[in-house]
Amino acid sequence: MLVNRDTFLVVSATILAFFLLIIGFFILLGKPPFEMIGMLLTYALGDAYSISQTLAKTTPILLCALAAAVPGRLGLISVGAEGQLYAGAITGTAIVLAAPDLPAALMLPMMLVCAALGGAFYGYIPGILRARLQINETITTLVLNYVTVLWVNALVFGPWKDPASQGWPATITFPSAAILPALPASRIHLGLLIAVAFAIALHFFFTRGASSQKIQILAGNRKVGEMFGLNFGTWVIALMAMGGAIAGIAGIAEVSAIQGRLQPTISIGYGLTGFLVSWLSRHQPLIILPVAFLVGGLVAASDALQLFAKVPAASAIILQGMLFAVALAVPGIIKSMRPGYER
Amino acid sequence: MSAELLTLLGAWSIATLRSATPLIFTTLGETLTQRTGIINLGIEGEMLAGACVGFAVGVATGNPWLGLLAGALAGVALSCLHAALVLGANANQIGSGLAVWMIALGTTSYFGRALVGNQVTPLPDLGSQLTDGLPFLGSFFGQMTMSVPLAIAAVAFAAWWLAHTRTGIQWQAVGESARISSENGIRPKVVRLKAILLGGLLSGFGGAILSVDYTQTWAQDMTKGRGLISVGLVIVARWKPVLVLPICIIFGLAEVAVLRMQTAGWSISPHLLATTPYLVVLLILIISHAAARRDTDMPADLRRVFA
Repeated sequence: MLVNRDTFLVVSATILAFFLLIIGFFILLGKPPFEMIGMLLTYALGDAYSISQTLAKTTPILLCALAAAVPGRLGLISVGAEGQLYAGAITGTAIVLAAPDLPAALMLPMMLVCAALGGAFYGYIPGILRARLQINETITTLVLNYVTVLWVNALVFGPWKDPASQGWPATITFPSAAILPALPASRIHLGLLIAVAFAIALHFFFTRGASSQKIQILAGNRKVGEMFGLNFGTWVIALMAMGGAIAGIAGIAEVSAIQGRLQPTISIGYGLTGFLVSWLSRHQPLIILPVAFLVGGLVAASDALQLFAKVPAASAIILQGMLFAVALAVPGIIKSMRPGYER
Repeated sequence: MSAELLTLLGAWSIATLRSATPLIFTTLGETLTQRTGIINLGIEGEMLAGACVGFAVGVATGNPWLGLLAGALAGVALSCLHAALVLGANANQIGSGLAVWMIALGTTSYFGRALVGNQVTPLPDLGSQLTDGLPFLGSFFGQMTMSVPLAIAAVAFAAWWLAHTRTGIQWQAVGESARISSENGIRPKVVRLKAILLGGLLSGFGGAILSVDYTQTWAQDMTKGRGLISVGLVIVARWKPVLVLPICIIFGLAEVAVLRMQTAGWSISPHLLATTPYLVVLLILIISHAAARRDTDMPADLRRVFA
């Protein structure tokens, strides 16, 4: 499965095409392309600091990618990680605001569990709508994304606003017991460890054991699965909620470890980026790991390029969109060049 | 009824229609695209591109009509990418739509920065000496521009065209089965290409109506999911152009109610109020799915990509 000749061809052609597009992109911006690509690599992986920035971006992207991959294994297309991330940020913050004096040994697990439950609930809604009413989950997850972002705004502009923060819409700064532990002088925090652990656990969940076969059968052919007594709807709800829980943890991790308090902008489109990563990796957790790291590097380096080379802030999302387009186009084009292929 | 109430009613009706108009164009475009068996989530991006380019050209030329035209063309240009990926490279339609959206989101937020704070010449209103001062009609026509009758005419024309012309029926046939229609001498890829480009045209136009005619401003990511909502509303409208009109008006009504509540100084958070249109869309999706089995109206070829 991992490396046969076809995959190798597709992957290398995709990377090559993306590379060419990046060159074109920088030429259009009027920047020297090779110098810019060199800077991209340096700012993504060049030194310890760059790697720590890359890993800080990798964490939410990895979690959001897993959040898309879990329902993706059943053939569902859930693009709801962004909204679930915000939902988890809300419920995780709620426990911190409700009991700010808890010791860290209690606070951190409770905070993470609350965030996971919030995210799970927000995955459960499109899940049950799909399972019971056949409402397409792609549409509902996309529309629901906008709602929790607005809820966070309503909370930090309203009841949760720290009166001491004057005009700034944000909650109180989290007490130190509610800050996820991080490596000294870096932004690499416990969230990364959790994310990697999830990826490995999900790999085993999806490749070994009883449920992996059930999911595979249902994803391959729903009717066959149901003849074996499996309930498609139940699995839809379970996997949607499970994905939501993972994205919820991404939300509270960003709030706690990176921002230190809840404020309007938690995510810079990590949900969509995670979806892209999961798609590129064909929803396979062990492939998601390195891909999330590479895309995390792309996002972190785009940030640095914006600062040091006056490259527009929007470059990160444009480059991701181009990567997505290339990854979608290349397999089909290669297939159509095969002898014997009929249009 | 008192004259005051009539004036209020007139103001609400026109506000609802104007808020619904951009959505009517995009939803109509997506409906026609989906009737040929293609789903395009990229209309969110095409709408955004239409809003951005339309506003820029409107500002630069001082002519709102040129702005609308340019916005429509921007939508077409972007829809070419979806067509190339989906028809040219057999890519997954959902993925392709999201890629188109990402590219448009980034590009418009880059080029749009220079547009923030600019003023655009709006379309003239349709009020005249005949209607000014009349109780209902005065406020109705005083705030109406050509965009509203244009949207209604587009819906009526599309409904007639799809059901009663040869090409319209060919489009429907392709949506039901590309294989069978190609056996009958129709070229499904050509039809689908036209349908994607037409969807792009209408989405870009709808986006331009949003920025040039309705809000008369540009803001980053100003469509805020309207294109995605359109894709949902197509399902509610059961792939029928005629139903696009009433369904979009429900959305317009929700949006106007929110605006009115905000200006009336309700003590609810404006952010919370702003969730209403999304929740309304979700609600009508739920109602429409609970009320009928949607499978019956869905183009058969669409089911394979969009179950």
